[in-house]
Amino acid sequence: MKLEPTILDLDWSEVETKIKRFIKDYVEKSGAKGMVLGLSGGIDSCTAAALSALAIGGDKIFGLLLPEQETYNAKDVEDAKLVAEKFGFKTEMVDVTSTLEAFYTSLPIFEPTDKICKGNIKARVRMIYLYYYSNRLSMLVCGSSDKSETMMGYFTKWGDVAADISPLMDLYKMQVRKLAQHTGVPKEIVTKPASPALWPEQLAEEELGIRYEILDLILYGLEHFMKTEEIARQLSVKKELVNKIKLRWLHMEHKRRMPLTTKIQYRTMGADFRLPRTSH
Amino acid sequence: MKEKIKIALAQISCKRGDKAENIKKIESRVTRAKRQGAELVIFPELSLTGYTMRDQIYELAETIPGHSTTFLEKLAKKTGAYIVFGMPELSEKTQATVYNTAVLVGPDGFIGKYRKMYLPTHSVFEEKRYFRPGYQTAVFETELGKIGLIICYDIFFPEVSRLTRLKGAQLIVCISASPATRRTFFETLTAARAIENTAFLAYVNLVGIEDGLQFWGGSRLVGPNGKTLVQAKYDEEDLVIGEINYADIRPTETFVPILKDLRPELFDKLKETAENL
Repeated sequence: MKLEPTILDLDWSEVETKIKRFIKDYVEKSGAKGMVLGLSGGIDSCTAAALSALAIGGDKIFGLLLPEQETYNAKDVEDAKLVAEKFGFKTEMVDVTSTLEAFYTSLPIFEPTDKICKGNIKARVRMIYLYYYSNRLSMLVCGSSDKSETMMGYFTKWGDVAADISPLMDLYKMQVRKLAQHTGVPKEIVTKPASPALWPEQLAEEELGIRYEILDLILYGLEHFMKTEEIARQLSVKKELVNKIKLRWLHMEHKRRMPLTTKIQYRTMGADFRLPRTSH
Repeated sequence: MKEKIKIALAQISCKRGDKAENIKKIESRVTRAKRQGAELVIFPELSLTGYTMRDQIYELAETIPGHSTTFLEKLAKKTGAYIVFGMPELSEKTQATVYNTAVLVGPDGFIGKYRKMYLPTHSVFEEKRYFRPGYQTAVFETELGKIGLIICYDIFFPEVSRLTRLKGAQLIVCISASPATRRTFFETLTAARAIENTAFLAYVNLVGIEDGLQFWGGSRLVGPNGKTLVQAKYDEEDLVIGEINYADIRPTETFVPILKDLRPELFDKLKETAENL
């Protein structure tokens, strides 16, 4: 297997069809009235929203913009609205600053300099808003996590990853970019650097310490059971870097699964209680 | 035995775990196919229940004969059609031993069954966890010719189709529940199994989405020369009817006489070598 950018190429028209079919089938079987999406103005959420609107109609999609003072970015809001207009779905903007302030002031051990803990509050508060809207509107929550961030555990547990379905989760970031382009997501959104917007000027690639162009190929190699030495050799990167990414991927499994329990009885959650998933 | 027969490829999606609903759909497709002149109507693997049952399989599995096969036998009698469908079969001797089985019924009732020999247990598949493998290939002599049954992953193992053919099957029916990522394999293997056995092959795949798995459909009737005679749509329910003429086997068999040229001594070598993989 040769790890080069073209290995991530897929038939984008087929991928789009599959994702739209999956969304439509799931929503229909669930009996929900539609889907609520957190719309950050970034590529993942804009692509998920665009595909959802194409799958079930814009009138059944509700885009929720949840900005807050510290990370407010007018361009992101503008981009989110641009996508909503292009794909014909409603949006609502709710400033969550006061909710966050309430958390900061009521938490006895709150530490403003601890960016991660504080940032996680933001992701989880956004999740609460999304689920409130979905409950009230009898809709589902559509997530927009991609495969790169999911494998890296680059998300907040029970925060941005919380959703009923995540249609993009089997596509690496570079693939989401290609799909977005194919689907007609505006170019400025496709090329915009990714950010979870948990603190000002946060950039995913800076925080991860690697560009998605390389990260995705490393993850692709790991997905295909390639040896780390071979991945490093092919990509002309240090073996230590590939090992570091592999370890991070493996260590983050706890974020991707339901909580672990210890086996006591006959059939156990997450172990041998194996039931088909229904949509409702 | 008839020389020419009309076969309907009844490519359906199933309501998972709802046997009554699936039987209703099977009934409507059989009626429609029969009206269009089909004599044999083929449904996908586990079409009685849907593919992804997991632990619910123990509630859904039935013995043969059982409630569902009795209903399908009556349907065959009523319509005069031969029907192949798939179901989880509960062993009569135990309470939780289940087979992934293909059943053939006809106007005179139950004809026979085939228990899947190769159970995929890798990637998204977990069949060995739930099913016991079958140990016999199956060929049935009917008014519509000698019909052999295989199921899905069996097609990756040429010996299953070969043995079925050597037992006399001129039509190999492969029922399937194949997700989209495997389409190219099946498109190649259906043609290959037909060519290498100089037999007709009817492949009927599931459609619909179960647990995120999208079944790709693309059911087809393949001639002994590997040519696709009719093909159903990809990804959607469909009902297509094609005709086969058993007389077409002879010119193919003389052109590439594979069965004549078989070397049985290689099978012993294959066995020895495979044991030491």
